[in-house]
Amino acid sequence: MKSKLALLLVIAMMFTLVVSGCTSTQTDAPKQNETPEKSETSEETPTNVDSVKVGAILPLSGSAAATGVKLRYAVEVAQEIINGDHPDIAMPLAEGMGLPNLGNAKIEVVFADHQGNPEVAKTEAERLIQNEKVVSLLGAYQSSATKPASQASERFKVPFVAGSSSSAALTQRGLKYFTRIAPNDDMETEVFFEYIKYLNEETDANIKKVGVVYIDNEYGVHAAEMVDKWLEAKYGAEGFEKVVSVKYPADVSNVDTEVQQIKAANPDVLFHASYIGDITQFVKKYKEFGFIPKAVVNYCGGFQDPQFTVNLGNDGDYFSGGAACTPQLFGKMEVVNKINELYKEKSGGVDIDGPALEEFASLMVIADAINQAKSTDTEKIMETIRTTKFEAPYFSTSAIEFDETGQNIHSASFMVQTQGTKYEAVFPVDVQTAKPVPFKDWTSR
Amino acid sequence: MVKNIRSLIILIVAIAILPLIFKSDSFHNVLVLLLIFATLGEAWNIITGFAGQTSFGHAAFFGIGAYASSVLFYRFNISPWIGMFVGAIFAAGVAAIISYPCFRLKDSYFAIATLAVAEIIKQLFVSWDFVEGATGISLPIVDDSLWHMQFNSSKLPYLYLALGLFAIVIFICNFIENSKIGFYLKAIRESHEVAESIGINTTNYKTYAMVISAALSAFAGTLYAQYILYIDPFMLFTLDMSIKIVLLTVLGGIGNIYGPIIGAAILIPLSETTRIVLGGTGSGIDLMIFGVLVILVACFQPKGIIGLVQKIVNNIKKQKVGEGKVETNS
Repeated sequence: MKSKLALLLVIAMMFTLVVSGCTSTQTDAPKQNETPEKSETSEETPTNVDSVKVGAILPLSGSAAATGVKLRYAVEVAQEIINGDHPDIAMPLAEGMGLPNLGNAKIEVVFADHQGNPEVAKTEAERLIQNEKVVSLLGAYQSSATKPASQASERFKVPFVAGSSSSAALTQRGLKYFTRIAPNDDMETEVFFEYIKYLNEETDANIKKVGVVYIDNEYGVHAAEMVDKWLEAKYGAEGFEKVVSVKYPADVSNVDTEVQQIKAANPDVLFHASYIGDITQFVKKYKEFGFIPKAVVNYCGGFQDPQFTVNLGNDGDYFSGGAACTPQLFGKMEVVNKINELYKEKSGGVDIDGPALEEFASLMVIADAINQAKSTDTEKIMETIRTTKFEAPYFSTSAIEFDETGQNIHSASFMVQTQGTKYEAVFPVDVQTAKPVPFKDWTSR
Repeated sequence: MVKNIRSLIILIVAIAILPLIFKSDSFHNVLVLLLIFATLGEAWNIITGFAGQTSFGHAAFFGIGAYASSVLFYRFNISPWIGMFVGAIFAAGVAAIISYPCFRLKDSYFAIATLAVAEIIKQLFVSWDFVEGATGISLPIVDDSLWHMQFNSSKLPYLYLALGLFAIVIFICNFIENSKIGFYLKAIRESHEVAESIGINTTNYKTYAMVISAALSAFAGTLYAQYILYIDPFMLFTLDMSIKIVLLTVLGGIGNIYGPIIGAAILIPLSETTRIVLGGTGSGIDLMIFGVLVILVACFQPKGIIGLVQKIVNNIKKQKVGEGKVETNS
């Protein structure tokens, strides 16, 4: 009886496994690509293909699903611009259809959902490379998902262009096939200190005492480490000192204790590394406890989400942070304005934000590299990504160029400050849409 | 018992042949994950299926195993094989320490206590700098080697390692089930008071079961870490992970050594397939389908798939006996 049972179970198992096996076909990475064009590919004899697949691994479900969907819209806009004819947008690959150097081949983006789970991110990266035969990957927003996914792409020697993952650790791993467009928290910290110095000069704010408030995960911990690093390396000698450092749990539900701790130390400036739910709670408690710092600067996270001003209204004013774009600059930057128009059609009228623009840039860089390499060979694409200065008129720096670690050296972001529930560009001066305003009392807003 | 061993050998040989027939890497990936989670299910079955003590904290032991080998490899370049045993010893130690106070509690209180212990361990790892805290550990990629338990060019070595571990664990479970300790555990499961009244030291035997279960879970943790090559507290010590272990065992059939492999063979390919086919749409429909299937099984087949199979086999058997009787009468 038990033998029969075992046999039945084996049959049942084989059936379910075979069903799953049938959903995937075989299996070589595109590096050893069997496509006939690869062996003959050269500068003089460009490849002609109908379409080139690029994988996008994003958190389309799970806790970051709302952001993941926005990033997907941005990637779809980039795909639309590349594949369609948009002569009115003055940027590479907009005019004409597809990739001109590859016989107008279309870019086909294959989306995958990593659910905010590193295990799934790795599995999806491998599947996209092996089964879908993508020639490059982009994503994955959460640094903890980007890490294993980019390790998988490194193994298969397939380029991975991260748009908005900000942990500095990502580009410190010595990976040869990984690049990142967003400024990392290391670069952001330096910009924050320079911004504070600018505030001191412009407004006589006399900001010296620094407080750090950060979420207890990779993003927050790393940001806090960067504050220490820069204080020790440079800004400590210029009179800045850290007076308080407050770490709070990722699933925090009440921040009373943390805010009391911050208020007791009375820092002049707060460096915040928080997501949208946490930063909203903190700001409400700052108001409740009557804590008024001279400035608050925010790492790329909750503050940059347009929901910040929706949640807090005027209480969210005078907070600052790094951002790759702001609607206030759309009037000055025609290209971003046009990208935003296409984006709004998908998002239901919501403007494109910084992380979405960075993810948009990922696909543009990949497509530009494939076009310039005139090949779908992953080695050649990576070589092009590593050695080319890409035109990026949608960023304030207008360029994307990677250093030997894979980090974009032209920081795509600038400082914005919320004024009248709008994100005004305040630093550096050449992108300024408004002068920075000192933090005001909660009652006089 | 001999018949049972024969059945287990058939099962393991069948699984070993599968990757040779279906050579897709995705298929191999599903099989590796399936075997790791089936191993975890078997380990969990010892304390919950045999001894009747519901644990919602097995992710803690799994995580300890993953962290022990990863930290030793990452910090000191010590082989994960050594780390695997260190992890098992740590997990067994932690299980022994928490067992005594926890086993004074019964039923749902014990389940809540295990949940709390897993959360405490997670918080410890999140704030422990030596293990890279919340940042997690990216294991250094090295050349393919059995000593370093890393195989970048093929998933087959991982697959056979996972199968080897699963085979060892299922034979251990089979041995326990048919040994004195197994009968004692089942007696405790059926009635704590009756077991004590016939002289069984219930606390000791439950602790033995917990320690063995924790050590086996830690073994699976090491293999998982070496397979994913990245770990952080939020992926290992979560309630999701503990629930996944519970879910697949309950789905397959709790208290039966075939239950976890059946549950894993359904749940893991199902979650992978629905995600691959529907996940990219961003609508979360894959997770909805997954949830509905779990609800259906829970509502209509609470004994798990194994219960359903046994029912069908019994019906066939009854029918045959019935036909035999009719023939004899005529």
